[in-house]
Amino acid sequence: MSSGFYADRSSFFHRLHPVTRILLLLLAFVSALMIEHPLPLLALALIYGLAAARTGVFGGLRRVIWLLVLVAAASFLIWSAAYSGKNAVFALGPLTVTYEGMIYGAGMGLRLDLMIFCGLIFLAATRVEEFTYGLTRLGLPFSVSFALSLSFRLAPMFADTVGTILEAQRSRGLDTEAGGVVKRLKSYVPLLAPVFAAALRRADQLAIALESKGFGLGHKRGSFREYEAGARDGAAMALMAALIALEIMARRAGWWTI
Amino acid sequence: MRAVELQEVRFRYRGADADALAGVGVHADAGERVAVVGLTGAGKSTLLKCVNRLVPASYRGEFAGKVALFGEEIAGKRVAELCGTVGMVLQDFESQLFSSAAELDAAFGPENLGLGGDEIRRRVTQSLRAVGMEHLRRRDPATLSGGQKQRLAIATVLSLHPRVLCLDEPTTDLDPEGREEIASLLKSLCGGGLTALLAEHEMDLLAGADRIVGLAAGKKMFDCAAGEVLWDPGLLSSFGVRPPDLAVVAGELGLVERPGTVDEAAALLKSNGIGIRPGAADELVRADAAAAQEGRELIRIEGLGHTYPGGVESLSGVDLTIRAGEFVAVLGRNGSGKTTLVKHINGLLKPTAGAVLIEGQDTRALKAAALGQRVGFVFQDPDHQIFAGRVFDEVAFAPRNHGLPEAGVKERVTRALAQVGLAGREDRDPFLLTKGERQRVALAGVLAAEPEVIILDEPTTGLDYPAQRAVMELLKALNNEGRTVIVITHAIGTAAEYARRIVVMSDAAVIGDGPGRRILSDEALLSRAGLKMPAILALGRAMGADTLTSAQFLAALDRGGT
Repeated sequence: MSSGFYADRSSFFHRLHPVTRILLLLLAFVSALMIEHPLPLLALALIYGLAAARTGVFGGLRRVIWLLVLVAAASFLIWSAAYSGKNAVFALGPLTVTYEGMIYGAGMGLRLDLMIFCGLIFLAATRVEEFTYGLTRLGLPFSVSFALSLSFRLAPMFADTVGTILEAQRSRGLDTEAGGVVKRLKSYVPLLAPVFAAALRRADQLAIALESKGFGLGHKRGSFREYEAGARDGAAMALMAALIALEIMARRAGWWTI
Repeated sequence: MRAVELQEVRFRYRGADADALAGVGVHADAGERVAVVGLTGAGKSTLLKCVNRLVPASYRGEFAGKVALFGEEIAGKRVAELCGTVGMVLQDFESQLFSSAAELDAAFGPENLGLGGDEIRRRVTQSLRAVGMEHLRRRDPATLSGGQKQRLAIATVLSLHPRVLCLDEPTTDLDPEGREEIASLLKSLCGGGLTALLAEHEMDLLAGADRIVGLAAGKKMFDCAAGEVLWDPGLLSSFGVRPPDLAVVAGELGLVERPGTVDEAAALLKSNGIGIRPGAADELVRADAAAAQEGRELIRIEGLGHTYPGGVESLSGVDLTIRAGEFVAVLGRNGSGKTTLVKHINGLLKPTAGAVLIEGQDTRALKAAALGQRVGFVFQDPDHQIFAGRVFDEVAFAPRNHGLPEAGVKERVTRALAQVGLAGREDRDPFLLTKGERQRVALAGVLAAEPEVIILDEPTTGLDYPAQRAVMELLKALNNEGRTVIVITHAIGTAAEYARRIVVMSDAAVIGDGPGRRILSDEALLSRAGLKMPAILALGRAMGADTLTSAQFLAALDRGGT
């Protein structure tokens, strides 16, 4: 019932105000997007990695490392071929792969990976409820942020149900792996009705449970955990601001451009 | 003081052709525990939902009558407004837990009330302590056991400080230990002055009630002190409850005394000159030997281990041989590996260690879709498989998948529907049938493939007693025809009565395997698996014969010449 990446620890990030964590995540995305060259991106990854050393992010990282490798490899291949630079390395038919293209492709892959990594740090340090709280404090109505966070929590449950239904139909001889595309698509029909029925039933039960526990009373909501922004949040934001300022200066000076 | 009072309450769900509640009056005094019993569809859930106005506020239909809480009528109030008065624990406790930590689920209600942080934290601690889960406060609810989840679901409404607690079949999905947890929890809560209203089929909770109300077809049929009802086996079973063994025996023997324990019962019978007939014990053992199946070897499981991705080992070193024509019950706690084990037999899971052979063929070499023809699997929730708009198409699904010509399909469907007692319902919409009927449609859908082995995962969970018996009698008939039946169950009395062989699992391993009489009389083994000896067997043993059912016990008695 959590995103599965949360690590129950009390690192520096875990203790930041949820709003600070959301803002830091957004700024971390910006910091990654401002750099194109892989070397400073690697340096940035190292900084974030060290900063997040105690968040417990690496357990989650290990689970999705294949995704990071895939993203890096795909963007390296695509951009190496698509980017038009000056220094050709080799030509393959109509394709000319340039040195700049390879650098840009590697940078692009790293950039995406770095953003995923930052997302993982956020998930490792933030409970879904804290995310909801942060969004509410940023001005989103509670019902909207609650619905948003609920979708996080319900996804694994829903996946479980789909798994059970698939098993039930497979044991009655449903073969979703045989035949052509049309036949395979058709074979999913017996899954849809029970999946929808189960989803509707769950939504119905959930709505009743929420209402019975006073959801939508219209009071200003209380909070089990109370968060106060403190010196820690100020320091974190200041460091992030300094990092971004440094990047802006480097960009102006033309360092590490391709 | 009347905590809850329903007067002449009627409700008809939109589109239904009969009233769910047809003019019911029920009340509960402050601090009283009132249990509502009745067959599936009698209106128990609907009745409970009237108490916090979910009916009619969240369900469409026609409502009439009065509902009052502590003397105040609730008509016109919103459900959410009543959350501080009525705590509603719904049947499906899974969907009531949606937070990432137990304490946050318990905090949800008080947060909605807009209370201050200190008060919320105080209430969370208090409610978790009341259900004995303070030490698990930071655990992800998804990782809790069934009994713990249900206790947490109760804590999530206790933190709202309700004066009335409504529980809809709170022990349905629980193993015997979980059931006991909930029963003793309720006892301690009501000791504190809370009023409780519960719908229930199981004796564990009914035994703790002050008053029992019987519903049938939306009408109140009786309302009396629990003691009167619990010793009336005929009444209990016609209202969906499996009667306790001791009550059945006392009734059959015409005893006026009501022995509360097995020891008391044994002493009582002895003082009335009733004892076990000489030779009766040997007769039972001989009957077991005569019934033992020496069919050909059908399923062979060797050193089976299964580790789920992520490293959870849910089976290790399981050896089991099942012969054609056996009737096997698999018992054990939730999470002990029962379902993982049987899913290997029809190939839904492949071994990560060891092997499973079906008539010598390794399941790793077979597709689940093909194995389904020989090994049928009935899932716990029929709604996880029903998809067709007509009963016929639903039941025809498996034989069609297996490539049977349409004429053969029709014959199979007709036969399967007749077997489950639904002949002639081919054109009905399965989604409009009752839960018990849908269960039978699901079973027919598996029978139509005419599998040699039928596996059922908790086929009686959530059914009332007559429906449970109907399912088990059907399995007995199929077994008599020569089918091999494997049933996972928490109902130890059912296993004792129907299964000839019992497999007991604990912590991913088989810890006991043998004839029911031997396994169920091994107290040490049972307690390792969180199980208790059926009362009738304990009584029989105390008197000199291992009887598995009250019928066996009564037949083994020497009633002093009567």
